Amino acid sequence: MSRLSEALPRRLDVPLLLSALVLSGIGIAMVVSTTSGTPRGGLGGRQALFLVAGLLVATFFAVFDYRLLLRASPALFAASFLPLVWLPIFGPTIAGAKSWIRLFGGFQLQPSELARITTVLLLAWILENDDRSFLSTRTVTALAVVVALPMTLVLLQPDLGVALTYAPFLLAALYLGGLPGRVWGALVLAGALAAGASWFVLKDYQKDRIRTFLDPDLAARGAGYQVRQARIAIGSGGILGKGWKEGTQSRLGFLPVRHSDFIFAALAEERGFAGVATVVGLYGLFLARGIAIARDARDRGGSMLVLLVVLNVVAQAAANIAMNVGLLPTTGITLPFVSYGGSSIIATWAMTGLVLSVAQRRFVNV
Amino acid sequence: MPASAREDRRPLLLRIDRLAAGAFSFLALLLGVYWVHQVFRGDDYARQAENNRQRSVPISASRGFILDRNGKLLAENEPSFTLLLYRRETQDVDGSLRFVSSLLGRGLDDLRRRVERSRTGYDFIPVVLDDDLTVAEVGAVEAHSLEHPELVVQTTERRVYTQGPVTAHLLGHLGEAGPEQVAARAGRVRAGEAVGQNGVEAAYQDLLAGTAGLRTFVIDSFGREVAELDRVDPLPGNTLVLNVDLDLQRLADEYFRDKVGTAVALDPKTGEILAFVSAPAFDPNVFSRRVSRAEWDAIVGNADRPLQNRAIQNVYSPGSIWKAFVAYAALTNGIDGSETVHCPGFANFYGRRFRCHGVHGTVDLRTALQVSCDAYFYTMGKRLGIDVLARTARTFGFSRSTGVDLGPEKTGTVPSPEWSRAVRKHAWYPGETISVAIGQGPLLVSALQAARAYAGIANADGALPVPHLFRIGEQVRSGARVAYRPPVTERIPYPPGVRETIVEGLWRVVNSPGGTAYRYRVEGLDICGKTGTVQVVGQKEAKKAHLLPEKLRDHAWFAAFAPRDDAKIVVVVFVENGLHGGSAAAPLATRLIEAYLRPGSVPPPAPPPPAPLPEATPPGGSTTAERGAPPLSPRRGT
Repeated sequence: MSRLSEALPRRLDVPLLLSALVLSGIGIAMVVSTTSGTPRGGLGGRQALFLVAGLLVATFFAVFDYRLLLRASPALFAASFLPLVWLPIFGPTIAGAKSWIRLFGGFQLQPSELARITTVLLLAWILENDDRSFLSTRTVTALAVVVALPMTLVLLQPDLGVALTYAPFLLAALYLGGLPGRVWGALVLAGALAAGASWFVLKDYQKDRIRTFLDPDLAARGAGYQVRQARIAIGSGGILGKGWKEGTQSRLGFLPVRHSDFIFAALAEERGFAGVATVVGLYGLFLARGIAIARDARDRGGSMLVLLVVLNVVAQAAANIAMNVGLLPTTGITLPFVSYGGSSIIATWAMTGLVLSVAQRRFVNV
Repeated sequence: MPASAREDRRPLLLRIDRLAAGAFSFLALLLGVYWVHQVFRGDDYARQAENNRQRSVPISASRGFILDRNGKLLAENEPSFTLLLYRRETQDVDGSLRFVSSLLGRGLDDLRRRVERSRTGYDFIPVVLDDDLTVAEVGAVEAHSLEHPELVVQTTERRVYTQGPVTAHLLGHLGEAGPEQVAARAGRVRAGEAVGQNGVEAAYQDLLAGTAGLRTFVIDSFGREVAELDRVDPLPGNTLVLNVDLDLQRLADEYFRDKVGTAVALDPKTGEILAFVSAPAFDPNVFSRRVSRAEWDAIVGNADRPLQNRAIQNVYSPGSIWKAFVAYAALTNGIDGSETVHCPGFANFYGRRFRCHGVHGTVDLRTALQVSCDAYFYTMGKRLGIDVLARTARTFGFSRSTGVDLGPEKTGTVPSPEWSRAVRKHAWYPGETISVAIGQGPLLVSALQAARAYAGIANADGALPVPHLFRIGEQVRSGARVAYRPPVTERIPYPPGVRETIVEGLWRVVNSPGGTAYRYRVEGLDICGKTGTVQVVGQKEAKKAHLLPEKLRDHAWFAAFAPRDDAKIVVVVFVENGLHGGSAAAPLATRLIEAYLRPGSVPPPAPPPPAPLPEATPPGGSTTAERGAPPLSPRRGT
């Protein structure tokens, strides 16, 4: 069979694609609802444009043989690395961080999102090449370095939220590659120490967020204000919500960054628990389909690639949802597919394309 | 086949299963948390969301106007303009302050201090930069509204007393409601709201205040109004027509401009208060603005205590105006009015010599009243005894509230042996009875009590009316009117001839040669009256009274009514340190009577000094304002 015939959509994983499409549609609706009639009124249209761009990129990755990408991943990783090195030194400061490269037409590119794709590919490639039951020390070191490099550079921008989204990559890679129990124990200990030590590295506003997370009443009007208002938005949504564009918390501006980090709270307010369950269910479907694809993947690299992507998307979604309701500190993690943001949408869809590509090429005789 | 075909996939699949189980569990946990917040506690959060977005602000009701009995305006409202700074609307607060300073000529340091003081507040709450803009200044600010959207003029109403100090004690003034006033009028008065303090404004607060409306609106997270939800219009306060005659009031005020004391005029039949003056007065308009420290100090620091309402809150010895009531006691207790007493200029009782102010020879009751002979009344007082004198005093309403619709009223003292034991803790000295017989001693009365008691003599039926200011209240919306006419429940019982004898004596005071107020008679008016002089120091020193320092000079009384038959007006005038009742107090009393009984006969007084409402023209802004018609409507706020 030629590669072309394999690319035909007869093995297209429809449920996975649908879950991603519906989530993106909900995202556009929520961006419109939270921004229309405000100075940011045009964001809904732009989000739709980003989705089109994301779908094009996803189609490219779905059709392209991921094995070629895996083999090329060290070079791709190195290439995507360059803007990350450039940014903290020369990048423009936008919203307090050097995270963006300005593009034509007022669009901005977030190189950290591009690096996410190449990191996933490189991690999958490294795991492909170590298929014993437990990872060798060399592999573990390689995985850690591959994750630590972009993470460090993103932290320098500084963008703690995006940097943290790289952490699940390493944990998932280590878990899937296989580590003995005692190594996990040591890792947990090291993680706890690092968390303690990080207190001395964190910026004041980041410390504030952690303090208010631990005690939301501490600053009802300060950093805790966001958490409290988000919770009011979520809770006041009830079972069925207040209706599209009817959310008083988001429409009247009580909800912070409501088209981005706190878009889920806006959704919870306007669509109620029904909307919350739908969105969580869609991520669940995305996860379930991803796992099924990983199980059936033709090779270890494909499995790893799919699992890393799916776990990353779902972990980020879960973190954002937990953050919205105050279960995790506010860190600026966006909701994949839903939150406003071109780089995030396109990168997430690119990774979805990779998953579809693996699905296309899975075993058919199982 | 790729290398992976040879690998053992079982460990990987196991790990995938475990990971999937963990991930799904976490998603389920998240759903549970959202369920708790949205379903279990949803109502609580919904209420918090409503509180977030709704604000209710009362709309002040217009305070009712106050008119005199002829419909002349005494108190009204005028728009008052407050300049607000919304700090959120500007990047350069100090630049705004410099602009205001140069436009309106306000001190930059003062403006900075006002902003500094509210620094701790949220920046969406406006800072009051000035609360007394002139119309020209409003125009100047509005003309720059495009460059300075952070400056907003808010229109409110300010109470204006058209007569200024003339009606100060009569009307009272407005002031912030204190905690006890808020408590007493729960639900109707908010803390810090302006309510009536003293006078008619306080007595008829509920009637004048009207009912505040309520505006409910949606706000955004900056506190800016987004939309109006509900509006209940305020109900304006009632118009109040008083019994006071502004012309009389101004005559009395003019007379007292260089004096300390009080004057009260009543319609004896109804108790309608025609004039009510206490001096010195103050300008009640000062309290409608933010009172400056200097203004406050000038009022409170004044040794003559201008805030004191001398007509009802000060009590004095009545002096010789008391003799009319002793005359009543004598005539109703077996003493014949024609019985005479010899006055050699003194009388001896209890081994002590009591002086009379003159040598009157042989006097009967009428003559004793006419010449105010102390010796006659000493003698009668001794014969009647303190108990009869005290009973008579109470019959005429002394030591009790007059029932006037103003508060609080001092009731004074009618002394008696029981009173002496209860209050002074010692026995009554018989000599004190002699003093009380001429209105001295521990006896204390208010001017309003004296006026009411004289109405009891002026009225042929002995009616003792309830003095009152309220004439008509009118609802602005419906035009419905209420009148107030307190019923007369007390009468002085007059055996035949008794009242006529007393009135004859009082008529001779003014109309017969030798009467103590003969100089002040008015042809054809038949004024009846009684002078009174209250010693501040002992009698010996008082001989050279005009040489004494002013504070130690005698107080002067004059109580009068006219005409003799069918009296239409009672007047009581009291002048602190005025020396003699005839010369210090009688001129005003006769002038008030003449003005009331013969309208137009007394030239109206010079207009009161212009109400000191500063209308300073802003040095910088006036030209801008005068060119275009200044829009008076506020751009924001109520």
